[in-house]
Amino acid sequence: MNRLRTAAALAAALLLAACGGPGSAESADEYPSDQIRLIVPYTAGGPTDIAARALGRYMEGALGQTVVVENLPGASGSTAYQELLSAEPDGYTLSMSALPTAVLNYLTNDVGYTRDSFAPVGVITQVPSALVVPASSPYQDLEALFAAARSDPALVSVGTPGATNTHAAETRRITQLYDVPLTVVPFNGAQEVFAALLGGNIVAGFVNASQDLMPLLESGQLRVLAVGTEERLSYLDAPTFVEHGYPEITQSTTTFGVVAPAGTPQPVIAKLEETMRAASADPETRRGLDERYVPEQFLGSADLAALFAETEQTFQGVASGG
Amino acid sequence: MGVLDGIAQGFAVALDPVNILYVFIGVLIGTVIGVLPGLGPTATIALLLPLTYEIEPHTAVILLAGIYYGSMYGGTITSVLLRLPGEAASVVTTFDGYEMAKQGRAGPALGIAAIGSFVGGVLSVVGLALLAPPLAALAVSFGPPEYVALTVLGILLITYLGTGSAVKSLCMAALGLLLATVGQDPIAGTTRFTFGQVALFDGLDFVAVAMGLFGVGEILHSLERTEKAQAVARRIKGIWPSRADMRDSAGAIGRGSVLGFLIGVLPGGGGVVSSLASYALEKRRAKDPSRFGRGAIEGVAGPETANNASSTSAFIPLLTLGIPANVVLALIFGALLIHGVTPGPQLIDQHPEIFWGVIASMFVGNLMLLALNIPLVGVFVQILRVRAGILSAFALLVTMAGVFSINNDATDMWVVLAFGLLGWLMKKTGFEPGPLVLAFVLGPVLERAFRQSMLISGGSLSVFVTRPISGGLLAATVLVVVISVVTARRRARVLHRHDELTPAEGER
Repeated sequence: MNRLRTAAALAAALLLAACGGPGSAESADEYPSDQIRLIVPYTAGGPTDIAARALGRYMEGALGQTVVVENLPGASGSTAYQELLSAEPDGYTLSMSALPTAVLNYLTNDVGYTRDSFAPVGVITQVPSALVVPASSPYQDLEALFAAARSDPALVSVGTPGATNTHAAETRRITQLYDVPLTVVPFNGAQEVFAALLGGNIVAGFVNASQDLMPLLESGQLRVLAVGTEERLSYLDAPTFVEHGYPEITQSTTTFGVVAPAGTPQPVIAKLEETMRAASADPETRRGLDERYVPEQFLGSADLAALFAETEQTFQGVASGG
Repeated sequence: MGVLDGIAQGFAVALDPVNILYVFIGVLIGTVIGVLPGLGPTATIALLLPLTYEIEPHTAVILLAGIYYGSMYGGTITSVLLRLPGEAASVVTTFDGYEMAKQGRAGPALGIAAIGSFVGGVLSVVGLALLAPPLAALAVSFGPPEYVALTVLGILLITYLGTGSAVKSLCMAALGLLLATVGQDPIAGTTRFTFGQVALFDGLDFVAVAMGLFGVGEILHSLERTEKAQAVARRIKGIWPSRADMRDSAGAIGRGSVLGFLIGVLPGGGGVVSSLASYALEKRRAKDPSRFGRGAIEGVAGPETANNASSTSAFIPLLTLGIPANVVLALIFGALLIHGVTPGPQLIDQHPEIFWGVIASMFVGNLMLLALNIPLVGVFVQILRVRAGILSAFALLVTMAGVFSINNDATDMWVVLAFGLLGWLMKKTGFEPGPLVLAFVLGPVLERAFRQSMLISGGSLSVFVTRPISGGLLAATVLVVVISVVTARRRARVLHRHDELTPAEGER
């Protein structure tokens, strides 16, 4: 009876392996022999979508296979990650990922996956964040704003583009680590934060320094008080939190990368990583990605894995609001 | 650059043969997806967006905008003929539109909706050209406390809608608010009532809920009826709105245009609130409000005009500030970003061909829609000749396919069926789905804005009355309640004297 059961299990396993698609049996030399699905966890037209399509176009040329970019928005990306993890780990289903959101998702809620469920491939772009105030704000620099917050703990409201995203979590870290009382006010996307800033409904906003912020800075309607990177940015005239004496506040940069399901064969990952490295050196792809956001040094599979681990450690305990 | 120069340049762009072709494709696609239940402009634009990466940025926006306002026209058709609202803004149209269809007056309902949409669209385009910058300031001045006041007023107006009792409407509105809390908490980010299902993290899908309650509920109800003839299949009287219809609707269309234009500027919920406000206003002004919900043509003309006017004025915050007012405009924003054009305060100066070209194309597009829709009314009305059983089965099939296509998620199909069952039970017990669905749409806006207000004010409720706009809106809300209580008392007394008190009316 027992032996029969073992045999049945073996047969089932073999059958599963046989159904596993072209990836399971072929060597990395043959990969890819079929079209590749690249899932985007956010809507078409957003920064992740733009990056995915620029990368997808390059991959099609380099790998000689169609890359189907598919938008699967919902649940801060969890819908897409669940879809990715339900696919065969053969390199034919990949997903874009955004850090730290992908980590904050599973730190905040039970979403059915953790860091170990993914096999990181590499980083495409990194978008830093900025603390901004309206032009008419009385606070000329970060110190003035934080001094005001310390003297009246209910005064400084900071709008963030979401409740569980990096900006909300990083703002809470400022309060926890440096004892600056800030009230996080989550909005639905950066545009709503901009509207609330322009209308004077919140004191400050903590958002990505992405393309949609630039025109409001150029027209002088918003000002940047600080950027959340280690070094100053070439395209934004503003000091860093580090310069102001907040060395820990460097975790808010959003990292857009590509992940595969855990268990994807190492040679396949390596081949994809090489393709991404070449893509981030290709002038046309760099233009499509917006050169400002392409890391100077390519960050591959190991670097993205390290970033996942670092992010998880940083935000453990501050992820959810209250 | 002056406004006249701008308009001239805009028409030069819009009348370019390539752009005329794209406007036409846009409004045609819009009409078609509007007609197919379940398929909305959001899903369609998201699907087509990648195709626009290769064309000129202004042409891309012209195409996508055409799909958006085209779908507003198309959505009316299913709301009137099959009681299937594909958009939150056309929920209100089902109240009197479907009743008109049942009375054999589907033609006039669709005709007046097309005419009203055209007038509303064109007036709104004129307003967009002349008033965009000052209205953008209005949109920005709406902070969280103002949204609380606006949605409270909106939810109050909801209870005006039904033909049944106000208490039942309030119950349904409360249920709608409750259902709106499913999903991620907007402030803390934790999940509520999801039973661990990631598919429910973003809450229940509006289209699935509305399609179930209205469409599937109606189908189940009609199957139950034993008499052979279905109500809608009664002989179709006249395709065109009569002169009397036009006279009755003229005021509603005028008022709807203004309401839709002004309220549509507000990001989040502007379109729904404008159609609600227009319906409530017409019902309030009517000599005999009891006609509403029983096939009053003003009840179709006003809200349809308002919802089309609002879909045009919704472009104001996007084109002048770079702030999209709803999901569809956020997608159009993305399309522009991909082309390296960032909508913002400098758009008018840096890319006048986009700003003015889009405005002029909307004028052209509305004209095309009128030309397209008037002859089509005759065709669409023939759908009602199809035997009820076949029509129901087909409508159900298309609804399920449409709902599945929104998120490619089978969960939404179960949601449709569950709410269909609920809709059928509600129909049997005299509860109306309108208040539920509309409260469901406004609930998340209300909740987020209320909790943001509390965070900003440090927990003080005075923030709602000390700010002029929210204070004014709340005062209007109180006024509406007082007036309706007083008039209901007076009417009840009069009716009582005449000894013809009907229970349904007495409770208003």
